[in-house]
Amino acid sequence: MIDAKKKDVLIRDSNKERCVMLSLTPRERVLNLFAGKEVDRPACYSGMGNVTTAALEEMGCKFQELHGDAAKMARAGASSYRLFGYESAVIPFDLCVEAEALGCAMNPYDEVEQLLYPTIKEKIIHSEEEITTFPIPADLLERGRINVICEAIRLLKQDVGQEVAVGTYLLGPFTLAGQLMDLNDLFKLTFKKPDKVNAMLDRLADVQIGIGKKFYEAGADYISVREMGATTDVLSPKTFDKVIAPHLKKIFAGLPGNNILHICGGTNSVIKIMNECGAGALSIEFKNDMVKTRTEIGSGPLVFGQVDAYNVLVTGKSDDVVKGVLASLDAGVDAVWPGCDIWPTAPLENLRAMVETVKEHGANRWARKKG
Amino acid sequence: MSQAILDQLKEGVVNYDEEAVITAANEALAQEMDAHSAIFDGLVPGMVEVGRLYEEQEYFVPEMLMCADAMYAGLNILKPHMKKKEGSANGVVVMGVVQGDVHDIGKNIVRMMFDASGFEVHDLGRDVPLDKFVEEQLKTDSNLVCLSAMMTTTMVGMKEIIEKIKEKNPKCKIMIGGAPVTEDIASRWGADGYARDANNALKDAINMISSLKSIS
Repeated sequence: MIDAKKKDVLIRDSNKERCVMLSLTPRERVLNLFAGKEVDRPACYSGMGNVTTAALEEMGCKFQELHGDAAKMARAGASSYRLFGYESAVIPFDLCVEAEALGCAMNPYDEVEQLLYPTIKEKIIHSEEEITTFPIPADLLERGRINVICEAIRLLKQDVGQEVAVGTYLLGPFTLAGQLMDLNDLFKLTFKKPDKVNAMLDRLADVQIGIGKKFYEAGADYISVREMGATTDVLSPKTFDKVIAPHLKKIFAGLPGNNILHICGGTNSVIKIMNECGAGALSIEFKNDMVKTRTEIGSGPLVFGQVDAYNVLVTGKSDDVVKGVLASLDAGVDAVWPGCDIWPTAPLENLRAMVETVKEHGANRWARKKG
Repeated sequence: MSQAILDQLKEGVVNYDEEAVITAANEALAQEMDAHSAIFDGLVPGMVEVGRLYEEQEYFVPEMLMCADAMYAGLNILKPHMKKKEGSANGVVVMGVVQGDVHDIGKNIVRMMFDASGFEVHDLGRDVPLDKFVEEQLKTDSNLVCLSAMMTTTMVGMKEIIEKIKEKNPKCKIMIGGAPVTEDIASRWGADGYARDANNALKDAINMISSLKSIS
């Protein structure tokens, strides 16, 4: 039997140990890094979708059911933490939220057996004229599934919000524009009439700031802005600088919070511009040469990445995952993120290997910690 | 004289100058130049150069799309004057972007090269249900099926299509392409070809069809 006084000492001792060991909750680990406070090791989490088929089986529900149901979305969002110790809970799982709120029709593939991510089937801009005149509804923030996302964020905060960071994402203005109109036309206009495209993207940046603020008000701990439609495979660094970067800058200036800019592909030729956009951190995939990146932008900026979300996490063996994670750490990432959404069939043992490797080796191999 | 016209066709494509291509194509016809030669010695080398510029990262997708517009402007004028069967690869191809994926730029570039080469093209478009590829292959008895995916999340659907087509028609060749596709994935899934870009897709397709014919 322990008397009250003794118990108090025990608690204080364990608190002391906590301080010495700097044993943080995953949430603290994620948020302290953004705040510039001391952190024990890089966290292992993501700013992109990461539901697994294992979680869906456990929930007894289909992927399609998650997109419009806040309760299911929240449960699935918390599943990666519960199943393999991921240090975040991220919703939603598709990329159509903003386009839908703006009036596009989404296809959730309800009738399809296999697992597919929703796409936009009806666009709202059909001519060059409309790219600067298309209506933005006054009640945009009440439309589509925006309130579903907010409700799911609130549910996640109640459920696991003390332990892990709750994250969500927005599309970059150019990627969003590609859903609102024909992509071929958008690309050609980007070259032929950049001023018009800039005017369009400027409006979309305002849209994203509004939606992002609402997500933060609902309780999101961090937001990734995913501008994957503007990869270096498709647009020149010059175009990126003139047509993509100004609107990303606007978003990060107008949306206070822990923002991450994510772009996939070989981003070395634009990493300097990405770094000047004003996000709290950058997220890159394995095609980015991190050594070059650090030479370009220095050791200061937070960079997250760069585990191959498909060829390592889905089709690789546990050994490949360990190798991939160590390579990312050695390359100098500040948090281990997959380079994309985790494809749901990724085996749990691979995902566990990812998290465990970061826990075991993260502190020792972290370039920032080594000074 | 005719070399000057061929150069104009080529340059017009490379410089995404539709007007120049239209003028040169009409001039070619006025001089009774062989339409086949105007396409294969003028427009196609232009597009090959565009492919090179894309690879060298001097051109990007917007430029490539504008070059494709210029090339089509020329093809529309010249193709009706092409004599049947002349030098064409005479293959039948079924192509499309797999379900769940609405990105069709790569597929459209590849399609254009097949069009120019005289293939009979059955373009299923984008976001195509998996079974539709199998049905269309059987219906057209095509020598070749080309599958495209731009996202990792949709690429996985290709595996099933390849299995189903090969099961019903083992002689049909299958080529897959798109940003996330790798040579390794193509060989693991049993595809006959893998194309990282449009030029590569066309060369591979012609090789495959000729090998098919030499066997049968």
